[in-house]
Parts: sequence; C-alpha cells; structure tokens
Amino acid sequence: MAHKAGPMNRPLWTPGVLVMLVFMFAGALAIIARFTGGIGYVTNLTHARPWGIWVGIDVATGVALAAGGFTTAALAHIFGRHYYEPVTRPALLTAVLGYTFVVIGLLVDIGRSWAIWKPMFNWNLNSVLFEVAMCVMIYLTVLYIEFLPIVAEQFKGRMNLPGILSKLNSLVDTILQIADRILGKVMWIFIILGVVLSCMHQSSLGSLMLVAPTKLHPLWYTPILPLLFLTSAIAVGYPMVVFETTLATSAFKLDSEMHILAPLTRFTIYLLGAYMVLKIGDMLVRGTWVYLLEGTTQTNAFIVEVLFGVMLPWAMLLFQRVRQSAKGLFFAAALIVGGVVLNRINVFIVGFKPPLSENGYFPAVSEILVTLGLIATLMFIYRVTVTWLPVLQASKEVRS
Amino acid sequence: MQITRRHFFRFMGAAGASVAVRPASAHAWQTKAPPDPFGCLVDLTRCVGCRKCEEACAEVNGLPEPERVNCQCTIFEKNRRPDETAFTVINRYYTGKVDAFDKPVPTYAKVQCMHCQDPVCVSACIVGALTKEDTGAVRYDVTKCIGCRYCMVACPFEIPAYEYFDPVTPRVMKCTFCQERIKETGGLPGCAAICPTETITFGRRETLLAVAKKRLKENPGIYIQHVYGEKEVGGTAWMYISSVPFETVNLPELPDAPAPKLSETIQHSLFSYLWFPVLLFGVLGAFMARCNKGDHKATSPDKGGA
Amino acid sequence: MIKKMGGIVCLMILWAAVCTAQVWQAPDQEQAKERAKEVVPFVKEYQDDCRISRRICLMDAGVSLDDVKEVYFLLDNPIIKQREDHYEPVRFAHKRHAALVNDCSKCHHFRPKDENALETTRCSACHQDSFNPDHPERIGLKAAFHQQCMECHQEEAKGPVDCTGCHLPHVPDHKELVKLPDKPDPIQVTKACLECHDTQGEDMLKTAHWLWRGPSPYTTGHRKDILHGKGTTALNNF
Repeated sequence: MAHKAGPMNRPLWTPGVLVMLVFMFAGALAIIARFTGGIGYVTNLTHARPWGIWVGIDVATGVALAAGGFTTAALAHIFGRHYYEPVTRPALLTAVLGYTFVVIGLLVDIGRSWAIWKPMFNWNLNSVLFEVAMCVMIYLTVLYIEFLPIVAEQFKGRMNLPGILSKLNSLVDTILQIADRILGKVMWIFIILGVVLSCMHQSSLGSLMLVAPTKLHPLWYTPILPLLFLTSAIAVGYPMVVFETTLATSAFKLDSEMHILAPLTRFTIYLLGAYMVLKIGDMLVRGTWVYLLEGTTQTNAFIVEVLFGVMLPWAMLLFQRVRQSAKGLFFAAALIVGGVVLNRINVFIVGFKPPLSENGYFPAVSEILVTLGLIATLMFIYRVTVTWLPVLQASKEVRS
Repeated sequence: MQITRRHFFRFMGAAGASVAVRPASAHAWQTKAPPDPFGCLVDLTRCVGCRKCEEACAEVNGLPEPERVNCQCTIFEKNRRPDETAFTVINRYYTGKVDAFDKPVPTYAKVQCMHCQDPVCVSACIVGALTKEDTGAVRYDVTKCIGCRYCMVACPFEIPAYEYFDPVTPRVMKCTFCQERIKETGGLPGCAAICPTETITFGRRETLLAVAKKRLKENPGIYIQHVYGEKEVGGTAWMYISSVPFETVNLPELPDAPAPKLSETIQHSLFSYLWFPVLLFGVLGAFMARCNKGDHKATSPDKGGA
Repeated sequence: MIKKMGGIVCLMILWAAVCTAQVWQAPDQEQAKERAKEVVPFVKEYQDDCRISRRICLMDAGVSLDDVKEVYFLLDNPIIKQREDHYEPVRFAHKRHAALVNDCSKCHHFRPKDENALETTRCSACHQDSFNPDHPERIGLKAAFHQQCMECHQEEAKGPVDCTGCHLPHVPDHKELVKLPDKPDPIQVTKACLECHDTQGEDMLKTAHWLWRGPSPYTTGHRKDILHGKGTTALNNF
C-alpha cells in the first residue's frame, strides 16, 4: 500500500488554536520584556544558577523530543522498513519545528542574541557546547533540505503568489523544480547525515553536564551521561511519534493509524529496555542507590523519572493488549515522553545544585510564559503546516 | 530512494580512507597549564577583614565602590558572593575557634576567581572567549562572548557572574587577576598591593607553593596541613592556607582531577578528525545500500521527505 | 525615620581631634619625618635564632631603655609609599612601647648575619618591598608593621586593632564640607553628620547605644524590667 500524504484543508481557527494565540501573545510580551529589561528582569536566574527552564525545557527537552525525526528516518529509509514511511513526514515536521524553536529559545536565552553567529568563526574544539552548536546548526539545515521536497510537491507547477509577487511565480517554480530534481538524487546523503548529526549532539547534550561534577546530583552525574542521553533520545523517538500522531489524528478525526503505531512500539520495547538497563545498571555500579531514600526533591524526582517514565511504560508495552489499544498505547507513549522530559529537566534544573551559593530556583511567571508561548507557537505552526502542506496521511476519502 | 550502488561505493571509499588516517588511539589527555604562571597565596590566619582588597579591586577594575567601604560593622552579617559589581569579597566565619578569653575568633576569607591551572570555564566556553594566559590569569574577551553562560555552569567555585539586567550587551564579570598590571614587570594585582598584612602573597606559583609548605612545616600547630589549590581540580593559581578546615570557610572539597579532563577526553576520543561520525556515516550507508537494494523503484514516488 | 543619631557624638569627637591635629605639631615631627625618609641597605641574610637566644643576645649586648634615643618614629617609609598608601603615617611611640613591653626581642626578633651589625636593627633593613622573588618568605615593610603591631595588640588585648586607631585617615577638611548655622542645636549637628554618614547612622540603630532599654541583670538591683533607655524614655537627639 503506497501511502499518500495530503493537506488537511480543514478550518484553521478552532477554539484550541485561539487558546494557543493567547499563550503566544503572552509569551511575546514576556520576550519583549526580556529584550528591554534584560534576562534578570523576566527570570529568576542567579549567578549560581545560570541555566533555567529556557535551557532545560526549550533547548534540551526540545532536542530530545525532536528525536522522532531521525529515528523514523533511520527505520524507514536506512533500514528499509518502508511500511513505516507514513509516519516519517509528521515526525520530520516535528523535528523541523522542534529544532527551529530550539534556536529561537537559544536566541531568547543567550545574553548577546545578536552574536549567535560567532561560534562559526571562533572555534573552541574543547567545548562540548561548541560541538552541540555546530551539530544543531548543520542538522537544522539538513532538516530544511529534507523538508523541501514536501514544499515542492505542493507548489511545484502551481505557484500562485498574490499581487506584485506574482512576477516571481515562474522563478520560484523553476527553483523548486531544480531543487526537487537534484534533491531526489542526493537525499540519501542528507538522510544519513541527519542520523549521524543527531547521534552526535543528542549524546553531547549529556556531556554538557560532565564539566560540573560537584554541582549535578550523583544520581544523574555519571560518565555515561552522554550514552544515557543518546539511548533515551532514541527510545523516545517512536513514542513521540505515537504521541503526536494520536493527538493529530484525533484532532483532525483521521484514521488512528494503529496499524503502523502498534508494530512501531515493538521496537520501543528493546530501545527503552536498553536505556533502562543502562540507567539502572549505572546506578548499581556506581552505588548511587544509597541516595534513593533520602527523601529530598532530587531523589524523589529521580524515583518518579525512573519508575513512571521508564519502568512502568516499558512493562506496559510488553503486553500485546496495551499495544493494540489506542488508549493504552497513547498512555504508555505519553509516560515515556514525560519520563524523558523529566529526565532533561532533572539533569539541567532539579539535579543541578551549586553547593556554595544555591538559594533554590523556581522559574518566574514571565519565564514560564516565554516557554509556553514558544510551545504554543510551535503547535500553531504545526497546525498551519499540516493544514496547507502534504504531511499527514490524508483522510479516508483520499485513500483508495 | 534513489540511491545507486555506484554512488554508494564511491562514498564508502572516501569514508574508509578517512577512518584509516585517524590516529591509532585517541591520545591521552594532557594539561594545558602555562609553564611558570603567577599565583597568589592567601593566608587566612593573617586576614583581619579590613576589606581594603575589595576597595582596591573596585578602583583598579572600574567597578562601583564596595558596599559600606569604611564601615565593617554589619557588612559581615550576610555571606556575600562575588557578583557583577564586585570581583572579590571578604566573608567572616565563626568556626568555633576561641581565643584565650573564650571569645569566638572570626576567620575572614577572601573569595575571587581561583584562576585554575586547567580552567573548566576555558574548556567549556563555546567561542573561546575565556583563555588561560601565560601569566596565569584566566582572561575574558567580551568581543567573542555570546552570553551562553556555560562558563558559569561549569565553574566549580561559582565565580563568574552575569550582568542579567543588561538586555543587549551583558558581560560575564569575574576577577581579572589584574592581567594588564601583572604582565608588566613588577606589577601587582590591586588586592595584593594594598593588603596591609600580606594575607595575599603574590609571586610565581611554584615559589608560593614552597613558601606555603614552609609555613605549614614551621607552624604545625597553627595551620591545617593542606595547601588548598595545590591539587584541587588540577591545581589553581590562587591557593589558600588556613588554621580552620577549608569547608568551614566555604572553600568546597573538590576532586583532584582537572575539571575539563572527562568531557575533553570523551569529546576528543570520539570526534578527533571526526573519525567516529565518518565511520558511523559509512556503516549507516552500508545498511542503507543493503536494505534498499533493488527496491528503489518501488519507493520512487516518495522523494525525500525523510 | 531620622531616629539615627546618638553615637555620632563619637564622630564629633574624632572631628575635633582632626581639627586640633592640623593645628598642633609635635616639636620633633620634622626630625622624625627626615628619619622616616631614610632607606637603609637591604639585609639579605639573617641569624635564624630562637626567641630565647635572641633575648640572651640582647641582654649580653646590654641594651636597655636608656639606649632608646628616639621617643617616637614616624612610620612613613618611601618603600611603603611607592605601592599603595591611603592613610596618614602612624606615629609609633617607640620608647613607650620599649618601656611597656620590656623585651626588645619581641620586635627585634632576628638579627643580621653580619657580625658588625647592630643587635637592634631597624625593621626596614630586613623588611622592604613586598613579594621580593629572591626572598619569597620575607614579608614587606607594610605587612611587617601591621602583623607585628596588630598581633601584639590582640594578644595583649591592649592598643588599637582598627585602622583609624593608629592611622589618621586622609580626612577632608570638614569646615568646607559642612555648612551649619551659627550656634547650631544638637539636632542640627546630628542631621549634618547624617547627610554623609548615613550608614553609620543605620548601624548605630542596631547597637546597645540605641537599643539599650534600661536596667538589666547586670545593673544595680539586678532587675530585668524595661523602664528606661534610649529605646524607651531616655533623652535622644532624635
């Protein structure tokens, strides 16, 4: 069965979208405040705690949850499981948008946003962050290139810009035609490159914290942190696809796609299992289980993360009944996604305790509004994109 | 997927060649500390808490005058940290030490950048805005900085501070070791020059280490037998000796391993000459060619759209 | 709100002291100034004796109070001045200290290795510029003064240990700074002080001078009741 993705062509302004607009507006106000009063004006960051939710959630979690893009691409295109191709497009869109908003989040978070280009010319090859930045930059470009054929498919031969721009119609069309032809031949390079770059920076995001052994709680600080970050990113890829596809199909009242999602999560049993073995094995080998019953915020956060974010959903997925039911599958996937989100928040925020001058940290309202605003904008653009571009598997009428 | 075997083999050849030229094994991590740096030895038994160093520091570095510069009455009631307006501060600690009349004796401790031998901030900085100079100073170059604040995450002494209320051109603020002064012959850091009791001894790090050990040896009853900063995080240019345990004056217990060692070892063993990414690319390419053999016609309608 | 003063009286006394200091000068001040300018050759090597042998040495040499020719020294050596110098020089009453301490070895703790050198060599012969790379363990003159004076003052619980106890700071002429009406009342004076010295005013509010609330277990009658005191009924400037 060759799948056929198509634009949704549904009304855009639903109540849900209007709620998103409210958050986008509030977030925009907070961002304006950040660029007039400074970071200190809108955040609770201190000298001891330089990274808050803008890094912990907008950047680290954003990158982790965009892992669906490269994991599905690897499965469908590199390992030749073409059966799963229908989910590659929505996963790619999530990755494109996810990484775009990682960059936007970084622009808000770094003190000198206008200087963000400087790493391209001032290389510090010892810096983990430098490697992450380079990978994210190149990967974002790769993602846009991978996405270009979808745009071309929709507009090739029917460019119809309004008004004065109509003069450009033929030019844009020619560019799309050429791009489409060339890309078709070399796309395999970009697909592999995307996977390689993802493996590099997903793991290096974990290496970021290896420079702070005295600040990160020992439950998370381990030399294999990069490996844990990589395996958790790979493990969360398919659950994230399940999560968002279920949300999208129920929002647009499409087929639930269970025939693809259910077998997809069979891989997750192995991938999540590998992550679980590494995570718990690391805890046992380093003997950090002694902290588990301390009852502090850190240890409780760790217990919740492992119990409800890794072990419970893994156990659930073992049962075929769960995998076959849309609700059960969605619940398990949501737990895994939540577990990885919590892991990133734990590593960058909860588990980070500078011993000398820590006064505790909870994000300010305006700080949260920026994060929520960015997430709302991301969802809004996702909605707009699937409405106009062929991303989702089109509804029943289109399928043969 | 229009991948042909010809395409693929041409590429694999290149990948194989690059793997072959990678170094036999990732070379072991080596310190990048300058050969004969300057340093300062802070003898906490000598400090009287006059805070002249704070005043001198502010003057030398063009910072606002310290809080309550002429009045020591209440300033010590709160524990202060260096911030964007003060590169160094003195704190007072009552550690349980008493004098002959059973009166608690305060210990004063200066806080500033330790100018590590292998500074983790220098290793962390994405653009290399922080550098370890030959003088021993860890220097900050604002023209390169992008404001990511990773140096602040990394620093084990929690020293770099940030101008959080500057919306467009904030800077990382920290002790400069008076780099511009000490690189001149006979130049002294502002704080060391003004210190009335020579709590701060300025000199070559090796010399200071010998001086410190001599003092410990000659006064065994007075000092804790440890030079703080000799080995901590691979050694620091600023070192402390004290009569009270170091953790009681907020000098944290730290591992001896240089802080950048682990992350740099991982980074360089995986990514030097990009050998691992290239190898991974090759392996994935091989899978792609094998798994998609012969069926590119079947998938040809799906152009890209990974 | 203006409840600040009280102990600012201390400052007024200090001010008065400064004013008089500008008028009066010790008769041999000029001579002391000249002496303070002298820089003697640096003594590289010293006799590393213990305290007791030093005392015996000094006794053998027959050094006594009569040998102290100079009543006081002005500690104003150019060695100190070439670095940082924020304070007026200290007038060190050498003879008085010699008489009180009655043990020359307390300060003259080592002697030069040179046989012909004086038993009581001056401080600045050994202690000169700070951080001499050839003699890293030798402290500079400024630190030598401070360590010697303050340590002893602390040990003996006698003599000042704060900056202005020994130094007169570079106090600006308050005649120029303060404008008071003729025959000012106490409140006007306190107000004028607080114009600049507001932190001292704030700190004053936290001291017993301000918070004292009448009889305590240590006063006559050993009553604990709070009847009088600055915090309650006693007369304040404010």
